[in-house]
Amino acid sequence: MPFLFLFKKGIIMDKSKRINKNKVISFIPKLILVVVLLLIINLKLTQTQVYGALELGLIYSILALGIFISLRILDIPDLTVDGSFTLGVAVSVIFAYNGHPFIGIVAAIAAGAISGIVTGALQTKLNVQPILAGIITLTALYSINLHIMDGNPNISLWKKETIFTYFQGKLPEGVPYKIIVAAGILLIAVVFIYWFLNTQLGMAIRATGDNEYMVRASSINSDRMKIIGFAIANGFVALSGGVIAQYQSYGDANGGTGMLVAGAASIIIGEVFFGKHTIVSCILSSVVGAIAYRFILSFAISIGMEAMDFKLFSAIIVALAICVPTIKKMATRTYRRMKDKGGNASA
Amino acid sequence: MLKLNDVNITFNKGTVNERKALCEMNLHINKGDFVTVIGSNGAGKSTLMNAVCGSYEVDSGHILLAGKDVTRLREHQRAKYIGRLFQDPLKGTAPNMTIEENLGLAYGRGKKRTLAFGISKRDINVFREKLASLGLGLEDRMKTPVGLLSGGQRQALTLMMATIVTPSLLLLDEHTAALDPKTAGKVLEITNRIVKENNITTLMITHNIQNALEYGNRTLVLSQGKLLMDIEGERRENMTTEDLMKLYADSTDDVMSDKMILKS
Ligand SMILES: Nc1ncnc2c1ncn2[C@@H]1O[C@H](COP(=O)(O)OP(=O)(O)O)[C@@H](O)[C@H]1O
Ligand SMILES: [Mg+2]
Repeated sequence: MPFLFLFKKGIIMDKSKRINKNKVISFIPKLILVVVLLLIINLKLTQTQVYGALELGLIYSILALGIFISLRILDIPDLTVDGSFTLGVAVSVIFAYNGHPFIGIVAAIAAGAISGIVTGALQTKLNVQPILAGIITLTALYSINLHIMDGNPNISLWKKETIFTYFQGKLPEGVPYKIIVAAGILLIAVVFIYWFLNTQLGMAIRATGDNEYMVRASSINSDRMKIIGFAIANGFVALSGGVIAQYQSYGDANGGTGMLVAGAASIIIGEVFFGKHTIVSCILSSVVGAIAYRFILSFAISIGMEAMDFKLFSAIIVALAICVPTIKKMATRTYRRMKDKGGNASA
Repeated sequence: MLKLNDVNITFNKGTVNERKALCEMNLHINKGDFVTVIGSNGAGKSTLMNAVCGSYEVDSGHILLAGKDVTRLREHQRAKYIGRLFQDPLKGTAPNMTIEENLGLAYGRGKKRTLAFGISKRDINVFREKLASLGLGLEDRMKTPVGLLSGGQRQALTLMMATIVTPSLLLLDEHTAALDPKTAGKVLEITNRIVKENNITTLMITHNIQNALEYGNRTLVLSQGKLLMDIEGERRENMTTEDLMKLYADSTDDVMSDKMILKS
């Protein structure tokens, strides 16, 4: 699998920076994770399952990249995501249904970006709390998405052309066309995001999440930067939704529920391997994390977890990851207390 | 250069905590002036600066910068003309971005942010040269995240950022107060050099009376939101810190707070 090579590279990069005791200790869980993932892939999953997980992982990587922009770059958890994902699904499925799968993808991105602009404007122009702004847009999108889907909670693309079937016809027989299409779109997304974050505008957006005082003092309109950031973030999220809908030949008006947490879980898993020190490591974290997350889910299914438990599963991952520093602190304190007690007893 | 006409700022208006922070403030600062500002805690020094740079909106009055009325311009719009340093070294830089990225952002002051690359090769050479002039060895650490620098290094870098595109006005709000005395002295020296070299109109708040008389060409003393004294020229040249303390004690019941330092 191509991403296993990336795992290795990540570990080597970490090591070459500085080898100390802490680095070696933090290296152990990474190694265990890699080994476990290898075992899952080789022992538990059939080839179809591996392909399926990889395809989904590639498409959900785009979602993770979008969430990375709001959650990590702007440092704001954006609840619009659950709605803008479905918005992407709805727009893409309607266009594909009417025979325009490619326009559907582009329109999904545009629609997602607009929903991001709405959330951003609520936050900056009207001073709505970030979480509340996301919830407002999300709630409005429930109705809007249903309107776009003409009141149908789900639409099937059975026998309709999608971007996947289009390339299936163009590519030679037997090649894994779904992986190629998904990987192609992801590649474009990754190149775009890497380029964008290194432009003047991209740097200004990164700085806005890092230190708003400094941004304004440098004559940058921090409000506008947030709005642009949310637009791009939700454009990516909707792109992911739009591709998923055509991949599954099916659009569901409830498909977006829990996407923010699933995406955040992916990013957190990826960060275990690559950290979040540079743009490259963050992008790798999002992509590899999203793929690893799909493999973990496939594995969980293969040992009997039901699809309805997916959301519980991602919620637990995110909650655990957020708690890790606190748990570590508690563990150290307990350890010290025990050591102190031991010292007193022997004295 | 900078003009304040009857500027008023009141906090928590209409509550028990109502506080007049600036009271009919009138001020005229000439081009090229290096003005130091002193006054006890809560005198309104920071409020004055926040009013000038747009962090606080004024209740009434007008602020003119280079003949232009900027009273209703927003903070980032005024920042085109104003360079600024905060007391807290953490406020002036983006910690997760590298030194060169921070400088790159500051280098775009007053320009539109486009989709061109954030930092060009040519920019990097400019940054290296400028950083070398600080004498802190930062020019060899351009790819280091700013969060790893010490407070003094960050403040020196912020100074570089505030002046890399020469501003019409430089505002310094106790920018050395959070640093240890030796570092503070060094940052102050760098400040003085940059201001002199570029002839930047500067307003510097300090809690160190000796510094207030030593640097610059004019000293303002604020008390309870009002301009208490405006000292310049020959009178200022012959003034000692003791004279200034005595003058201050005679003209107000306000006592100079413990924070004020007579000699460094
Ligand atoms: N944002 C604010 N909200 C309410 N009161 C404030 C605010 N900023 C300053 N003040 C009050 O205004 C007065 C002047 O404060 P400031 O300008 O910070 O004084 P200093 O001269 O010490 O810098 C003080 O009484 C302070 O409590
Ligand atoms: Mg102050």
